[in-house]
Amino acid sequence: MRRFLTLLVVGGIFSASVAAQDLDPQKLLQPPTDTWATYNGDYTGRRYSPLAQINRENVSSLVLAWAFQTHARSLQSMPLEVNGILYISGGNEIWAVDGRTGRQIWHFARPGAPLGGGNKGVAMWKDRLYMTTPDAQLLCLDARGGKIIWQIAVADPALKAFGGVAPLVIADHIIIGTSGDTADLPGFLESVDPMTGEIQWRWDAMPKQGDLAWNTWPHDTDVATRGGGMTWITGTYDPQLNLLYWGTGNPHPVENSEARPGANLYTCTIVALNPDTGKLVWYFQSSPHDTHDWDMVMTPVLFDGTFHGKPRKMLAQAGKNGLFFVLDRTDGTALISEAFVPANWVAGYDQRGQPMPRKDKEPQPDGVLVTGGVGTNWQAPSYDPDTNLFYVNSREAMGVFYLTMPGKSAEGWAGRDFFLASKSMLKAIDVETGKVRWTADTEGRGGQSGILSTAGHLVFTADMSGNLVALDASTGNVLWHMYPGGPFGTGPMTYELDGRQYVVFLADSIAYAFALPVR
Amino acid sequence: MRRARPRNRKACAPGLGGDLRKLSLVAALLLAAALWLRAQEGGPPAGGPAAHHAAGEAAQAAAAERGRSLFKQNCAACHAEDATGGRGPDLIRSTLVRHDKNGDLIGPVLTNGRVDKGMPAFSSLSAGQITDIVAFLQSQLTLFDLHTRFGPYPNDIPAERLATGSVEAGKAYFYGPGGCSNCHSPTGDLAGIAKKYNPPDLEVRFLYPSGTPSTAIITLPSGQKYEGTLLLNDGFNVAIQGKDGWYHSWSTNAVKIEVHDPLAAHAALLEKYTDADMHNLFTYLETLK
Repeated sequence: MRRFLTLLVVGGIFSASVAAQDLDPQKLLQPPTDTWATYNGDYTGRRYSPLAQINRENVSSLVLAWAFQTHARSLQSMPLEVNGILYISGGNEIWAVDGRTGRQIWHFARPGAPLGGGNKGVAMWKDRLYMTTPDAQLLCLDARGGKIIWQIAVADPALKAFGGVAPLVIADHIIIGTSGDTADLPGFLESVDPMTGEIQWRWDAMPKQGDLAWNTWPHDTDVATRGGGMTWITGTYDPQLNLLYWGTGNPHPVENSEARPGANLYTCTIVALNPDTGKLVWYFQSSPHDTHDWDMVMTPVLFDGTFHGKPRKMLAQAGKNGLFFVLDRTDGTALISEAFVPANWVAGYDQRGQPMPRKDKEPQPDGVLVTGGVGTNWQAPSYDPDTNLFYVNSREAMGVFYLTMPGKSAEGWAGRDFFLASKSMLKAIDVETGKVRWTADTEGRGGQSGILSTAGHLVFTADMSGNLVALDASTGNVLWHMYPGGPFGTGPMTYELDGRQYVVFLADSIAYAFALPVR
Repeated sequence: MRRARPRNRKACAPGLGGDLRKLSLVAALLLAAALWLRAQEGGPPAGGPAAHHAAGEAAQAAAAERGRSLFKQNCAACHAEDATGGRGPDLIRSTLVRHDKNGDLIGPVLTNGRVDKGMPAFSSLSAGQITDIVAFLQSQLTLFDLHTRFGPYPNDIPAERLATGSVEAGKAYFYGPGGCSNCHSPTGDLAGIAKKYNPPDLEVRFLYPSGTPSTAIITLPSGQKYEGTLLLNDGFNVAIQGKDGWYHSWSTNAVKIEVHDPLAAHAALLEKYTDADMHNLFTYLETLK
């Protein structure tokens, strides 16, 4: 007993001292305040912070608290902020930065690897960081100094696979997706051990024989094994239901329909998996038999509320295919399927609420005019529980799609598409009706950027002209704006340290932290 | 939970295992590439680097063409003429082919065969023939990979494929519901337009010739007017390049702004086109040579 106690005490001291800088796993379960612990801030993907120090009354007086120069162009990652330290990533680089001062703590540049290239963000587990790289490796680093602990190959870059997705940490699982859309390549999710990198489970987007989804592909060729269903945007997680939600990308060959008649599961699908086993619990195909590269990886956003008088656990996704879905996330029942931009490729919806594509709007050898995409892209939307609105940066666009490689033996992209005129705007969607409540006041005020909403009744994003903006969450009126001198390719994030709220934007190569003036 | 074992890969500390070797291999390759580039820069043959590059490409293309017939004779029965596979594996997605460098992996497979998998040895192929087959496979990988929006602009869509409409209907649309003749003339600005652009370029450009800037007239509170090319109009600030060549900018709420978008008619039409209108109009415009 005495020995046990000693161990307990030692253990207690150990965890107390470690806890000073380690990521407390509880932080992943709470809306982001003093910590931005994961790609989306927390597991829900809402990108809503309860912080309200910066609010619609005072946001016009924001000042620059600090700026940090990475010298890496076109950053598109989400920084983490844990115990006062920001972790900012580029293709093969990480910068640890003091969240109060903007001073660099350490810089990791992967030896021998080219710098530049996109990375969407790192993940943290205890005192370790995880990142996927352009050559499809998973790195594990010591968060104290940025030294590599181990590195494993996730996929083969010679087959045109690449990395960049921010991993998701659920308990002792590091969950990673993969990217690639040049050559045929099957998508998957993997869970690896945070200590060793050993695979715990793998979920394949291509169904196996015996799975009902097997019948959604032809089998006179091997197209069902070839791929698509890339998993290149971080999913979300419901700890009560113990379900992991992830969106998958388009099927291959991308713009050739003839080679793969059928719905082509599990591509362009929201899947709900058990994060301990990788077993599929339910799915909802948000773009069956896609032929337009509508890779439906956009964040599945989780929120609870009343839907038409009944309490519901919901999941919402605004897709690249121009459609907005609200599902019951316990079983995938569709509550809303509704276009948020004109989408002429949709013939209607099936009894599950899944869209049915129009045959005559599939890519043709002589071209076909298609609306709906790119309705939005991977940059994260936001859901604000105070307004019950879902904010998305949308684009109303016309594209022309050519089938350049017809026939059943087509591979890869097999087509060309060109986007013509487009109108971008931020839309606020009512999650009980799926209708657009308002669009931001000026055309061009929307953009291609991620979104953050806060209890300060504010929506932060950037517009198509590159201005960082804060909008009134109820009306879309612009309350603050600033031109940062370069493109903003990711989403804003916020945190509070020592009683001061910061809002951070990565614009091109620079991290800007805005706050209220110190009195 | 049962833990699955890792397959075909190992987590290892850098500097202790395979990663270092891999890294040094990468470094060696990079160094070799850099030396090669320097050698090219240091002493290009007569005609300069561009001509040398073009000659290299032509030689490669000729090798690929020789390789195509060799492939057809020797390999296509199992791997299909386009190398996408049949009885034998698809070589476009083959890990071995994708990792091949100048025949280092493909060569031995051809020479020795894969008898256990039913592929005979092609021991009669000469080194030069193997090089040609490798060149053909590389060109097939490039061909498949280039059918993406990220490849070079497609010159490979022939006009016949796009001209599926009717010249008469296209002409009627041009002078009628399309309203094209309000601004354009087939004997004026559009004379010879089909010679000027390759087919997909012509189609994309008549649908929406993006890149044509708007112009604006800015009226100051004093009544003074500025006119020029619109550079910025983001709701906060407006900027133009004036007719005098100078840049001017104002706060949006301090001035009156009149924007003229020369593409407004194209944008409006874009929402009205049917696919048949597009095909007819292309078929008509393609006659303007």
